[in-house]
Amino acid sequence: MHFQGIYADEIVGKAYDRRLLWRFAGYLRPYLWLVGVVLCILPLTTAAKLAQPWLIKQAIDNHIVTGDLAGLPAIAAYFLLLILGESLLSFLEVWLLQYMGQRVMQDIRLELFSHVQRLSASFFDRTPSGSLVTRLTSDVEVLGEMFAAGIITVVGDFLLLAGIVGVMLWMNLQLSLVTFTVLPLLFWITFTFRRRMRGAFRQVRARLANLNTFISESISGVAVVQLFNRQRQEMEEFTRLNGSYRDANMPVITWDAALYAAVETLSSVAVGLLIWYGSGEILAGSLTFGALVAFIQYIEKFFAPIRDLSAKYSVMQGAMAALERLFNLLDCNEVLAEGGGERQIPPGPPLSRGEELPFIRFHDVWFAYNNDDYVLKGFGLEIRRGETIALVGESGGGKTTVTRLLSRLYDVSRGGIELDGSDLKTMPLQGLRRRIGIVLQDPYLFTGTVEENICLGDESVRPRVRGAAALVGAERFIEKLPAGYGEEVRERGSNFSVGERQLISFARAVAFDPEILVLDEATASVDSESERLIQEGLKGLMAGRTTLVVAHRLSTIRDADRIVVIHRGEKVEEGSHDELMAWGGVYYRLHQLQFREAGSGPGQSGR
Amino acid sequence: MGALFLVATNGFALLIPWLLKLAVESVQSPGQAGRSPAWYGGAIIVAALLHGIIRIFSRTTLLHNARRIEYRIRQDLYERLLGLDLAYFNAERTGDLISRFANDLTNVRMLVGFGVLNILNTAVIYSAALFLMWRISPLLTLLAIIPFPVMIMVVKRISAAMFRRSRRAQEELARLTSAVEENVSAAAVVKAYCREEAAIGSFATVSRRYMASNMRMAQLRGLMIPVMAATGALGTLIVLVIGGQKVVAGSLTLGDFVAFNGYLAMLIWPTIIMGWILNLIQRGAASMSRLNEVLLAEAGVSEPAEPLTPEKIEGGVELRDLSFSYEASPTPVLSSISLVIPPGSRLGIVGPVGCGKTTLVRLIARLYPVAGGTLLIDGIDVNRLPLRTLRDAIGFVPQESFLFSRSVAENIAFGREGASRGEIESASSLASLEGDVASFPQGYDTMVGERGITLSGGQKQRTAIARALVKDPAILILDDPLSAVDAATEEEILASLSGYYGQRTVIIVSHRLSALRGCDCIVYLEEGRIVEQGGHDGLLALDGRYAALHREQQLRREMEEI
Ligand SMILES: Nc1ncnc2c1ncn2[C@@H]1O[C@H](COP(=O)(O)OP(=O)(O)OP(=O)(O)O)[C@@H](O)[C@H]1O
Ligand SMILES: Nc1ncnc2c1ncn2[C@@H]1O[C@H](COP(=O)(O)OP(=O)(O)OP(=O)(O)O)[C@@H](O)[C@H]1O
Ligand SMILES: [Mg+2]
Ligand SMILES: [Mg+2]
Repeated sequence: MHFQGIYADEIVGKAYDRRLLWRFAGYLRPYLWLVGVVLCILPLTTAAKLAQPWLIKQAIDNHIVTGDLAGLPAIAAYFLLLILGESLLSFLEVWLLQYMGQRVMQDIRLELFSHVQRLSASFFDRTPSGSLVTRLTSDVEVLGEMFAAGIITVVGDFLLLAGIVGVMLWMNLQLSLVTFTVLPLLFWITFTFRRRMRGAFRQVRARLANLNTFISESISGVAVVQLFNRQRQEMEEFTRLNGSYRDANMPVITWDAALYAAVETLSSVAVGLLIWYGSGEILAGSLTFGALVAFIQYIEKFFAPIRDLSAKYSVMQGAMAALERLFNLLDCNEVLAEGGGERQIPPGPPLSRGEELPFIRFHDVWFAYNNDDYVLKGFGLEIRRGETIALVGESGGGKTTVTRLLSRLYDVSRGGIELDGSDLKTMPLQGLRRRIGIVLQDPYLFTGTVEENICLGDESVRPRVRGAAALVGAERFIEKLPAGYGEEVRERGSNFSVGERQLISFARAVAFDPEILVLDEATASVDSESERLIQEGLKGLMAGRTTLVVAHRLSTIRDADRIVVIHRGEKVEEGSHDELMAWGGVYYRLHQLQFREAGSGPGQSGR
Repeated sequence: MGALFLVATNGFALLIPWLLKLAVESVQSPGQAGRSPAWYGGAIIVAALLHGIIRIFSRTTLLHNARRIEYRIRQDLYERLLGLDLAYFNAERTGDLISRFANDLTNVRMLVGFGVLNILNTAVIYSAALFLMWRISPLLTLLAIIPFPVMIMVVKRISAAMFRRSRRAQEELARLTSAVEENVSAAAVVKAYCREEAAIGSFATVSRRYMASNMRMAQLRGLMIPVMAATGALGTLIVLVIGGQKVVAGSLTLGDFVAFNGYLAMLIWPTIIMGWILNLIQRGAASMSRLNEVLLAEAGVSEPAEPLTPEKIEGGVELRDLSFSYEASPTPVLSSISLVIPPGSRLGIVGPVGCGKTTLVRLIARLYPVAGGTLLIDGIDVNRLPLRTLRDAIGFVPQESFLFSRSVAENIAFGREGASRGEIESASSLASLEGDVASFPQGYDTMVGERGITLSGGQKQRTAIARALVKDPAILILDDPLSAVDAATEEEILASLSGYYGQRTVIIVSHRLSALRGCDCIVYLEEGRIVEQGGHDGLLALDGRYAALHREQQLRREMEEI
């Protein structure tokens, strides 16, 4: 059972960028028109960029050198127009890209979130919440960076590069070829470096996930750390994780810097080559002065996006690693199969008294949270409609597990559970769970108001909120709150006492008015007076309703029709209170123990 | 070191354009200058190679440095968080804090890394180019930079807005993080109540708001880059027109004109980059202000200025007129509580839900600030006792058992550093956990999941008890420690605890009187006041609330027995 690798999300895969990108491209589909617009803008801005040095060349060669100033204002006007056009278009471009990026991020976030809602409880047992948080925030954020850095403008960059190469070749073939001798080297360097960076990137992301998980757990458990004076040890562990994250980043930076410097150096080398060769050409008269100037400018413009490309490359690497992790989560299929398909139900033993079908039937249920560590071993139970059944037994015996299986948070490993004669697995999940109202052993409150916590935002439940609160005796303290039902609840209900939280979550189950009520230690943290009030209140409620009560306080279950004793995952006794007392087994012993204590009270058996 | 490299890089950054100028001059007037243009071409190549090598070092040094700074800030943040009290954590949302660690810190790192790097680079290139341009023609230089002041004004406007919008976006992101964090932690409730659709709906709202705030940010980002690009290009235009006229008029040589244009071209890219840097700066500053909120947070519970450190804590606790209210609510939770708990005695606390029992025991451990009234431990004001000393003396079983996602053994050993396997085992046998652990596949090395999610309720509670017992404290505080265990286990634990108590001071909170067996004194709390106090028999004789509670629990037994 139990945990396997907290940090299961360390990704070690092959480099399948193309598949990732292709799949990612699917998310762009709704915004294809935007992509289209951007792709239309790109050639325009590119042209504007290309035309500027060329205009300068014209100005120098045709006007300045010749001293013919008449045409200069016209060229200046064109130039101005180009600048304005370029600015306008590139604003549009940047903005559209960001717009699209934000939309895509939003889509992915929603898809991820919805997907996570469908995942089964066992997934959440295994996965630290910190890592899911990272997935839905930082990882998606990295995708946004990708848009901001402009993956689509990369297309534009390549267009610009091609354009510049074209123009340069057209202006002066030989000079261009000399300048371009640096290009093969450039490609080789970029290619080698990026291969090395990918592995390093993955490690960075994995270590970051560990770090974030640790932080989020520390924040939740800070009181325990302080109470046990463990600050130093936690700090040491944190330092280790923090340091290993920092160290993982260092090689990435080094490679990145090397790539950047290489590009920059090559651009200067190209200028050097240009002058070295071009000066000869000018002397020989085969190159105009204006052309040389234009060439220098073109080279500047040529290397700018490449230099930028190497920066974008880091972003892309990060985005690839993030995509990989996001898609892994989306591909995680730990989902309970929805009902609908018919499943063969193994025939159970013939009904003993030949009367009506049991309402709920656990039939030889075997269940393990992990592998073969069976927590329930051949558990069987039949409950008739309207009955109240109590589950008692030693802590860790499997009571909560029975309730979880009933609401199908997990699927049985063997055997089956039937409700109203049909197997749980054949029913739609939501339909099933709507019929069951459960008070969980660990009450959980959400941030929001008290009222929201009882109705959970379900409008059809809202009218019953007050009635339910009154029934479980939560009304008394809620009405004393400054804002009453509108009182703000902090994270996990931290501004309420544990007993108050339990009462609120009890009220929640009652307000949902379910067909089947499951109370898992629902009054464990409540005082006897309140407990008595709840029991009186519940009497009416439980009439005609099927109820499953888990309780350690035997006093709370005396009204149960039948009591089931679970021991180490097996049903060891079943019957009414009187039957079990007469039987003299586990229940009898528990009962004796508990009521001897209650009877004795504190003073008597002490010192 | 980094600075040295930077100076070197700067040197080369100046050298290359200088060589370029010389080269252009030698092309323009061959034979005049000493060296051939080709020589300059070669020199440029050599300089570029050297420049590249140094560039690697300077960039690596700076960015590594940024990572180190990030590391330091993260260390500081974490250390600060460990020192803050529960009042702080009640007011903040976990997701918000996580977001500060993750997203805000990233923004700050970008600022100190790429931001600083580019600011330096830009400054160097600007000064180099302007210097060279000035040497050619001061007038043209001035003209060329005319667009810049205009640009700076525009940018200033944008920047201020950017800071505000950035901060807003970071806040929305924190909200989004909190929403995810909460939803994921509450998976069981969401499923049990079929709230998936509702959860998706409210997440969509939060997510959309975040998107909207990002869009507003994007507008500014979109504006910045074209403004910068236009500035550079306008300069070129001015030079072309005015400079061209000067060339024609003969007041400027063609070579100078060309060189001048070359330098101006060098400025285009840094100017564009500047838009991006400004964005980084504003985002970094907004995020830093959020980090500062944590770094500068004042802990209500802090180390005493003049500590009194006793040799050994015996475990006497005295409350004098102690009052307390949570920041959020105006009504006091505890009012004027006075109580003496002699060392080695056992105190029981009972009272209805929400009467302040947990609050009272939390104050003894100083999880919240003790301000109203006095709390004495062995006669020393708790506010003057070093926190470490105080907490070393206290073993605490909180009402809600929080476990870490580590192994069972590690969770128990959390109570005392370096606890041996034997000690862990004997603590867990005191807490009746042994049998359960034996049934786990990996025994004590079984991992328990986040918050102990893979243990049963009672197992979690007993692990928390074992964790407190292994500490061997002078004062043992048990806050409703047996609420989740069955009668048989409860009986077992109580029996072994009564052997363990020995000379320790014990404070037990419970709703069941059975757990208070053997208490010397029992306190009945109601609405934050002690309404009854005394031994079991005395309280029964008083025939008040306690007696009623006892009767109630008795009555149940009798009803059962009928
Ligand atoms: N999510 C889980 N993953 C793995 N093992 C689990 C999980 N939940 C419970 N277990 C194990 O299954 C067994 C039965 O647990 P369950 O919660 O059903 O007990 P319980 O009878 O409700 O006990 P308690 O009275 O203490 O609440 C325990 O040994 C527990 O450690
Ligand atoms: N962090 C907080 N902020 C504001 N109010 C709080 C906070 N914690 C508790 N309260 C309120 O203070 C009162 C006392 O809470 P406390 O937890 O001390 O009760 P308790 O006696 O331990 O109750 P229980 O029996 O339910 O455990 C309650 O009314 C509760 O709502
Ligand atoms: Mg349970
Ligand atoms: Mg409490």
